[in-house]
Amino acid sequence: MNHWKLKEVVVMSVLSVVFAIVYLAFLPVGKILVGFLGPIGYDLIFGIWFIVSIIAAYIIRKPGAAFLSETIAAAVEVLLGNAVGPMLLVSGMIQGLGAESAFAMTRYKRYDLFTLMLAGVMAAVFSFVWGYFLSGFAALSTGYVIAMFIARIISGALISGVIGKALSDALAKTGVLSSFALGKEYRKKRAA
Amino acid sequence: MFLHDLNPTVKALTIIGLVFLLAFLFDPVTPLIYICGTMVVTFWFGTFKKKHYVYYFLPFLLFAFGMFWTTLVFTDKSTASEENLSLFGINFPAEDVWVATSLGLRVLAFATLSLLFLFTTNMVHFILSLIQQLKLPPKIAYGVLAGYRFLPMLKTEFQQVLAAHRIRGVNKPETWKEWIVQYQRMAIPLLAGAIRKAERTAVAMESKGFTGDRDRTFYRPMKIQRKDWIFPLMMFGMLGITIALSVYFGYFSFYGGEL
Repeated sequence: MNHWKLKEVVVMSVLSVVFAIVYLAFLPVGKILVGFLGPIGYDLIFGIWFIVSIIAAYIIRKPGAAFLSETIAAAVEVLLGNAVGPMLLVSGMIQGLGAESAFAMTRYKRYDLFTLMLAGVMAAVFSFVWGYFLSGFAALSTGYVIAMFIARIISGALISGVIGKALSDALAKTGVLSSFALGKEYRKKRAA
Repeated sequence: MFLHDLNPTVKALTIIGLVFLLAFLFDPVTPLIYICGTMVVTFWFGTFKKKHYVYYFLPFLLFAFGMFWTTLVFTDKSTASEENLSLFGINFPAEDVWVATSLGLRVLAFATLSLLFLFTTNMVHFILSLIQQLKLPPKIAYGVLAGYRFLPMLKTEFQQVLAAHRIRGVNKPETWKEWIVQYQRMAIPLLAGAIRKAERTAVAMESKGFTGDRDRTFYRPMKIQRKDWIFPLMMFGMLGITIALSVYFGYFSFYGGEL
């Protein structure tokens, strides 16, 4: 933790707070989809709930960024009050660990689109295993569970990986990230 | 009163432990009794506006019903028993109704526990207690506290950006599509503003001598006292008694490794 700068910590937590609100706003969206399609409705947009770990890791590029940001976002969701309860904190930690595992696999060296999408997929896999036990997916039919799993993986790769990268890149272009890893990379590119 | 004075870390860990145990129960009776017990404890030992509790509880009820309904409709049709129950004019195997009710009530049991925590805990005390009891690095903890303070500010910021867009001739969204486009247009300015402010806050903290060192003093020292252990004892004891009761009456069913 000592090689984190305070400003990175505060920016990470602000991102987490912002996306905690986004996460909460998407819960009713998920609920509407569930109403139409059954439990798979959540999985279609599940990627939105991993996005902060991908954004924070991509911007700050330090071990722990993905895990911590997702955990903080979940904690803020719990403190604001949500319909899932304190267990959401554990779900957030597990999702964060999933995303973190992808960055750890590249030894925190690669931050290209592929790695970010992989992070989304890993978060989807981790969260699905967790959800399987917590929400009792065991009661659903096997084919349906497999469809849910695939939907969640695709959603993780596309929504959190691709959109997360696009958002961070758009932010970097405004120049606010100039003192963070992503902003520095942008400056180098511009100089070259 | 007693719930407000508890050490927040002890309270949080107890609740997480309870939720974990409850997740392994697959019958509706045990969570139902436990929900009632938790509510009694919350109202008895906590002071807060009862009306707010109801407001918070209603969405949970809806969510629990959603859980019940989706499980019922999308579950593997059970063939274990011939018995059928009719709900809203549709017939379901009795066993499926049983499992669905238990999953719905489980959501409610989690909800009552989290409301117990929410309504009796001061957020700042909770974070201070996490630093002092669970050795959370102060750098993270105070960073998060600072970030949490941005929450009300984000709202005003949002209104400002919105007003600025209107002045420059962006019309009020009228269709669904325009509404989505409006949010897309807001995202980057809002995030950029928040990041700038966060960076400034961090600089201000450091300029006032914040190092993030663990070796620091606290304005509000948080300690775990002997009386703090009453709460976990009480809550786990209550769960034990509930389980014992439902075993005695033959309702109890535990996670049997169903995959």
